[in-house]
Amino acid sequence: MRYPGADRNAVDGVTLEVPAGNFTVLLGPSGCGKSTLLRTVNRLVIPSAGAVFVGERNVAELEPTALRRGIGYVIQAVGLFSHMTVAQNIAIVPELLHWERERTRKRIDELLELVGLDAARYSARYPRQLSGGEQQRVGVARAIAAEPGILLMDEPFGAVDAIVRRALQEEILRIVRTLETTVLFVTHDVEEALRLADRIAILREGKLVQYDTPDRILAAPASAYVRQLFALEPDIEKFATLRAKLETQ
Amino acid sequence: MSYLTTHLGEIGTLTLQHVALVFSALAIALAIALPLGIAAARWRRFSSAILALLGILYAIPSLALLAVLVRYIGLGAAPVVIVLAIYAQFILVRNIAAALAGVSPAQIDAAVGVGMSSRQRLWRVELPLAFPVILGGVRLATVALIAIATLGGYVGAGGLGADIFFGLQRRYVEQTLAGSIPAALLAIAADALFRALERLAVRRTTG
Amino acid sequence: MKWSRADALGLIGAGLILPSCARGNSRAIRIGSKNFSENITVAEIYALALEHAGFQVERHMNLGSTQIATAAMQRGDIQLYPEYTGTGLIDVLHLPPMHDARAIFATIKREYERRYQLTWLSPAPGNNSQGLAMTQKAAAQYRVRTLSECSRAAPQLRLAAVPEFVARADALPGLQRFYGGFKFKSVRTFDIGLQYEALARGDADVATAFTTDARILADNLVVLADDRHFWPPYNIAPVVRLDALKSFGPSLRSALDNVSPGLTDSVLRRVNYDVDILKRDPAAVAAEFLH
Repeated sequence: MRYPGADRNAVDGVTLEVPAGNFTVLLGPSGCGKSTLLRTVNRLVIPSAGAVFVGERNVAELEPTALRRGIGYVIQAVGLFSHMTVAQNIAIVPELLHWERERTRKRIDELLELVGLDAARYSARYPRQLSGGEQQRVGVARAIAAEPGILLMDEPFGAVDAIVRRALQEEILRIVRTLETTVLFVTHDVEEALRLADRIAILREGKLVQYDTPDRILAAPASAYVRQLFALEPDIEKFATLRAKLETQ
Repeated sequence: MSYLTTHLGEIGTLTLQHVALVFSALAIALAIALPLGIAAARWRRFSSAILALLGILYAIPSLALLAVLVRYIGLGAAPVVIVLAIYAQFILVRNIAAALAGVSPAQIDAAVGVGMSSRQRLWRVELPLAFPVILGGVRLATVALIAIATLGGYVGAGGLGADIFFGLQRRYVEQTLAGSIPAALLAIAADALFRALERLAVRRTTG
Repeated sequence: MKWSRADALGLIGAGLILPSCARGNSRAIRIGSKNFSENITVAEIYALALEHAGFQVERHMNLGSTQIATAAMQRGDIQLYPEYTGTGLIDVLHLPPMHDARAIFATIKREYERRYQLTWLSPAPGNNSQGLAMTQKAAAQYRVRTLSECSRAAPQLRLAAVPEFVARADALPGLQRFYGGFKFKSVRTFDIGLQYEALARGDADVATAFTTDARILADNLVVLADDRHFWPPYNIAPVVRLDALKSFGPSLRSALDNVSPGLTDSVLRRVNYDVDILKRDPAAVAAEFLH
């Protein structure tokens, strides 16, 4: 898969099987192809060769809009529609799927509660009236509104400060565990990957370098590149224990 | 003595005619410019072709164009409204295409990502977000049309042009002012009105 | 509420077509004019004369150009308007200039009938052509009354001209070729109208003019006779649709034929003076002429 004018394929020869219900992080520096790989899943990017399967079905054979309505999608820039209220933003996919109005309304309240926002206070607000963290919570609520089996998240917490990010990370883990959603999560933040992932896929220049659970990657990095990536963090042990703590919560 | 005081009722009628010419032209122009602008925003090749064509139409001298139209559709409001609608395309199509191109990529990405069809994306996201900018183009077009609608005076369509041109021809300043002051006031009022609408629209749409 | 595409198109179509259908009373004769004082007032004179003769009249004055007036005549939106013979020949028919008034009239009448189903009624003596004007004093001093005399006296005379007069083939260069001479002592150009100021201030001896300009009357100027007929005549005359001439009967022609002989150069100057300088209403000036 190559972009026009690029001198190499953005994503090249990647084979990746993501188990249903798993939280999988695509990790790598910017430009490594992780976002491109993510976007092949909901056909925002069409591979020049190869195929993406969701369950048994090749996404190339599915109607793109129907496919996308069944997949949640959260991006770093949030992409909330600025001319719509919080409630209208969250209602987008249910409306596209022609849900009953009453069902959509209930779902909005439910979702706002789930992402930790008071429905009465936030429903009628516009995105510009929210903080960055609040916007991203609404972004998550919008993505999971129609209970998608798959949630794609592209550096969703990249633009919020560290404290808010920590809170959002915990929220998202809690939410996807409750809903048993399959998550593909793109980040370049090693700490974030360790904190969230059931499995981490490490990419470099479009190629898959290693794909395994965090523990095993830490125990047996596949290459000097992987070792270096994780060694950049001052205290790997600390993250291992922190992760263990999160698991038990 | 004063042309203004002796012709007050007539000036009022001419002003109303002027407004009617401008707004009927504007409505027709928008109905045409919207699909053209949307197409121009989608397809680059169409965009350069249509803008070149509109540039040529814009350059046709208005009196010559009016004479041709009068030959086939007659005197009165129709030829003026057509000329105004043609001239307005030049401003509106360019502006609508630019407004749509200026919608934030993140919101378009999100619209595609949630599974909107291209038509849903256009009507639910792109046009509402581009609306304040489009309104700005409509404002420019309206002010321009208020000036160009003086052409109505040339083909018996009424409007303020008749007083302006006859006044100029016989160097009768009061008669010229009787046409040009209401025209200027109309332009100022239209500008202020659309600016207020724009502010309102911006407040509604920007995040 | 939902609009189908056909509804919307229908509405737009109606918006365009309705105004042009509003042609009003079909028994009235529709009179037009171009948008300058003399033409408007003469059209008013035609209109009032026809009303006196018992016709109903519908007025469409102030049309923006000869082309627009001609187009409206061809389509029938107007059926009658005052035009100048030279304009018909050169600007409408695009024929080469001619200098004999009778030949011009025969040509434009024939060609208008053939090409446009329009015709010309008898022209007025009033001739709104190019010309040269002098103050009474200068004309007497240099003994100049005609263009021939002026061509010889030119080396003593200062010309105040509108800019295009110096360059156009049908102006100064043409005069020099046709009459010979016309080597003025000096030539200065002015914005239209201001050449008369130069003459009034004594900064010039000869000024370019249109022969029915109000200023000729206001400043009591002498218009030099075009004794060898260099300039094509621009006599004012009614242009009428042939079908209207037929359907309104002979009294239409006779009413207009009664009016035209009275429209002389000096009457047209008076008309222009009243409307341009005294800022009177063309309709009022027209009514006064008929009384």
